[in-house]
Amino acid sequence: MLTLKGISKSFPGVRALSGVSLEVRSGEIHGLVGENGAGKSTLIKIIAGAYAPDAGEICFADAPAHWSSPREAKQHGVHVVYQEFALFPQLSVAENIFIGHEPRNRLGMVDHARTRREAKELLLKLGVSLNPSARVASLSVADQQMVEIARAMVHNVKLLVLDEPTAVIAGREVALLFDRLRRLRASGVSVLFISHRLDEVFAICNRVTVLKDGRLIGTRDIGEVRREHLISMMVGRDLGDLFPERPATARSGRPVLRTEAVAIGDRVRDISIELRAGEIVALAGMVGAGRSELALGLFGALPISRGTIQVGDQRFTSISPAKAIKLGMGLVTEDRKSQGLAMLLDVAANISGPTLAEVTRQGLIDKRLESAIAAHEIERYRIVCRGPDAPIATMSGGNQQKVIVARWARICRSVLILDEPTRGIDIGAKAEIYRIMRTLADGGVGILMISSELTEVIGMADRVIVMREGRVTGELIDADVTEENIMNLATSERAA
Amino acid sequence: MPRWLRNNASLLGVMLLIGTVYLVGAVVSDRFLSFGNVLNVFEQTTDLALVSIGQTLVVLSGGIDLSVGSLISLTSCLTSGLINGNPDRIIPVVAAVLALGTVVGLVNAGLVIALHVHPLIITLGMGAILQGVTLLYALGPVGRVPRGFNFLAYGRILGLPLGATIAVVLSILIALLLRYLPLGRQIYAVGDDANAARLVGLPRTRVLMLVYGCSGFCCAATGLYLAARFGVGQPYTGVNYTLASITPVVLGGTILSGGKGGVVGTLLAAFLISLFNNLLNFMDVSKHYQLVAQALIIIFAVSVYVERRREE
Amino acid sequence: MTERLSSSAELAHPAAAFKSVRSWLARYGMVVVLPILLGLGGVMSPAFLSADNFSNLLLQFAPLAIVAMGQSFVMIVRGLDLSVASMMATTAVISTSFSGTDRDIANIFAASFIVAVAVGLLNGFLVTKRQVSPFLATLATMILLQGFRFAYTQGAPSGNVPPLLRVLGSAKIGGIPYNSLVLLIVAVALAIVLHRSAFGRRIFIVGGSPVTGRLFGIRSDLVMVACYVISSCLAALAGLILSGYVGLVDNWVGQGYELDSIVACVVGRVSLKGGRGSILGALTGAAVLVVIANEVLLLGVPIQVQLIIKGAVIVIAAALYARREASSGYT
Repeated sequence: MLTLKGISKSFPGVRALSGVSLEVRSGEIHGLVGENGAGKSTLIKIIAGAYAPDAGEICFADAPAHWSSPREAKQHGVHVVYQEFALFPQLSVAENIFIGHEPRNRLGMVDHARTRREAKELLLKLGVSLNPSARVASLSVADQQMVEIARAMVHNVKLLVLDEPTAVIAGREVALLFDRLRRLRASGVSVLFISHRLDEVFAICNRVTVLKDGRLIGTRDIGEVRREHLISMMVGRDLGDLFPERPATARSGRPVLRTEAVAIGDRVRDISIELRAGEIVALAGMVGAGRSELALGLFGALPISRGTIQVGDQRFTSISPAKAIKLGMGLVTEDRKSQGLAMLLDVAANISGPTLAEVTRQGLIDKRLESAIAAHEIERYRIVCRGPDAPIATMSGGNQQKVIVARWARICRSVLILDEPTRGIDIGAKAEIYRIMRTLADGGVGILMISSELTEVIGMADRVIVMREGRVTGELIDADVTEENIMNLATSERAA
Repeated sequence: MPRWLRNNASLLGVMLLIGTVYLVGAVVSDRFLSFGNVLNVFEQTTDLALVSIGQTLVVLSGGIDLSVGSLISLTSCLTSGLINGNPDRIIPVVAAVLALGTVVGLVNAGLVIALHVHPLIITLGMGAILQGVTLLYALGPVGRVPRGFNFLAYGRILGLPLGATIAVVLSILIALLLRYLPLGRQIYAVGDDANAARLVGLPRTRVLMLVYGCSGFCCAATGLYLAARFGVGQPYTGVNYTLASITPVVLGGTILSGGKGGVVGTLLAAFLISLFNNLLNFMDVSKHYQLVAQALIIIFAVSVYVERRREE
Repeated sequence: MTERLSSSAELAHPAAAFKSVRSWLARYGMVVVLPILLGLGGVMSPAFLSADNFSNLLLQFAPLAIVAMGQSFVMIVRGLDLSVASMMATTAVISTSFSGTDRDIANIFAASFIVAVAVGLLNGFLVTKRQVSPFLATLATMILLQGFRFAYTQGAPSGNVPPLLRVLGSAKIGGIPYNSLVLLIVAVALAIVLHRSAFGRRIFIVGGSPVTGRLFGIRSDLVMVACYVISSCLAALAGLILSGYVGLVDNWVGQGYELDSIVACVVGRVSLKGGRGSILGALTGAAVLVVIANEVLLLGVPIQVQLIIKGAVIVIAAALYARREASSGYT
């Protein structure tokens, strides 16, 4: 059904894909796996018609395909459900499902009643009962995903591309999704299933393709390959190389951060956790569990509605980013571009950002000092760029992330919070960041790492705290830290 | 808060304000409540309503049309200038002017799409160009409108002012368009999240052509009405309408970033504004303080209707 | 602020040749356009290059340049200030509201400053604490000021502009207008603040992304309010200068400056989306507008054409600087 041959794509400063070939047959569910930064999202965007490849050919349904827009790809039967969703928050569920293909009455006018009815039916077929008139903005993330998938079901989809569909759903909802996918497969539809969850890939896919660093590593039949084999294809090295050594005394430091019954908005209900100096604590859970909100709240970017935060010896009922920074805290946000970086400025400005006072003399910025500080960090972490004056926007994701981590690492004394620190970056940068994390921890900083990549959690964490729906459902240490245990706690009903 | 209340909060707010003004007016003067005065206010709203309806569509799509004032001036001058007292020319000129307005709107849309520039800048530039063209055509009052044409502004149909009725009919048509035309629903989507609209493959070009074309049409209609009302075309007649057309749109519940709102609210808000001015006249408030009052209304309204915050 | 370089595969296409001309123009256009315009002026009319004409050019340049610089501060933090023209008219009215002699100069400046700060604070408050769109908020203050102005003057302003202001607004020394000297001082000061100071750095950070600014510990809201106050104060200054130039005062001094200042900024590569811009850009944009207006006048071209040219200039400039959304970055 879909054949890609020798696809290459570059962006300024980075080669996202080189010579990738992929084939999805009709009536198969094809898995696509690879680490963060392997090039999966670029490939998806090319298949969807959002990007044009620099080189290579695309063949769809036995005909060459040169799509100039997502619309054209859709018209040919390619439908992509993105991880970030392409939904319209103000519009209703039914409208979102049928937008662009609204059911019409005899006069050619939109038939609202029919739209609502058919939307409800589609959702019921997916096993979901939603009010078709509800505003999408008011739905939970999992429900929103159902709307997205329902949208894909609306018309003649020949190839359905799902980008990390199970990042936001679990258990029964996943089973239902798989059921529907199997039905689609039986009716001749092809599915490209991109996921981090190897268990699920093994459960539903016919074949699987592995990408690494923008290159094709191989395609295998699912029956002929084992999990460890797949992992080694993805990572390309012994897992042991990637993650630094864990000292035995990691958990014995004094507490640097403690929360008591903290609530933030309606996403964080009741969190009481403790973080000690020198330890790396991973915060695991499903998307929507409230982890990012907790991170923002700890840093003062979101207001705390209840409870207290204790940093070192001082206790607070409210905190601001400025105060947090003064207390030696740092926050590496989930969204690099819109929250973590000043995209329009250069590397030096991005490193000095939270500590402008340090490079300010009599109200003016000492650019030479700022530059020297940046140069020092660039060298220390082997950041690939032209120099301290390089515009941050031209750098690769991995190097951008290194700048962010470097920025906080140099001023963090007590707590460093990282939210999905290795999302979308290449393996080299990842290893570097893990090293920085462990070095900081060894120096007495407490590290709180939010991550959905379980290999990362298992590899880095001294202790794992699992959250679900704003509450802590459990803590795991040592041998108990397994993918199964974490997933159980992330989806269980009981609170710790 | 029940959903229906939250969705229609602004509409209810405007109606509440209208009620309040009537209460105050009742105290001030009996004549204020008279049917004749209601019709009077109705009539006064015509021009503002006409231009704001088109602006509503554009704002819904996430854009803005700053060329409306100049287009009104241009169409007003062309109308009276081309008809120039000759009753035979009325129909062809009206048709031509309406077509011209629509075409200008389409050009705006085309430039926004082709040049990848924010509508604010495109329509700002077009507004300057149109004003220049208007001045090329006429530096002062121009043309003459035959008696028959005045009927458009001063006539009555079924006892109701013709101009205002046309405005209401036009808004009903547009409201229906928004609700029942597939492209109409897509206007909301494009305004809500342009990026998602692109990913889903919505025809942004057609949507923008529709909204800016309608806006141009409404401006032409306003120009026609003004020509009928004043009997001549004035090259600067439209100047205040550009910014004035935004107020009813926002007061009526359509948010400036797009994706939410509608013409009903705009119409009610336009009526409210005229009503308020009417009340101030009854209270003998000098024209100068009226401006202050207007500004205070806007400030009050925007402070209360806290818009959905748009983080990019 | 680099442009994306076309990859080799794309350059083979003829449309791409156009694209690279466009990107060249976008990058260097601002530097090149002014000399070209001036050269053009010299070719079109000998009167253009006369010292007298240049003096007049500078006279008209100062008020617009000052307002444009203020507008650029606001645009960099993703805002817009539509109230500047109204502010100018208000200070012009203030300048005639006292005795009309130089004794009251200090009072005039003080009163103007107070009003400017109040308006700036109001604008800033509405935008930050009430999440009103800057367009709407400054539109409202514009009308508010207008209302107060009309109410105060009862529609008929009267009074005299103090002689000192008249000198400031219209007199020259050695052929160079006094207001150009004021402009120079103000421009240098603003450039230092915007491009060299920590406050200026905060402005750019907040303008690029207010969220990032907050996470850096910056009080994004305060920075924005400060920019609106700066814009209002600069508009007030421009209003006083303009009242000195015009001599008589009506309620409409400065009319059109709000849109003109936005045009100047856009032409000068200050982006509506925020985070980008420079004092030099605002100055260049203002200069381009003033030179075009002057050339159009000298050519005897009617004012209507001037408007058309102005409209075309802003559209072309914005189109040149626009970035294509399609090729969004690598994640």
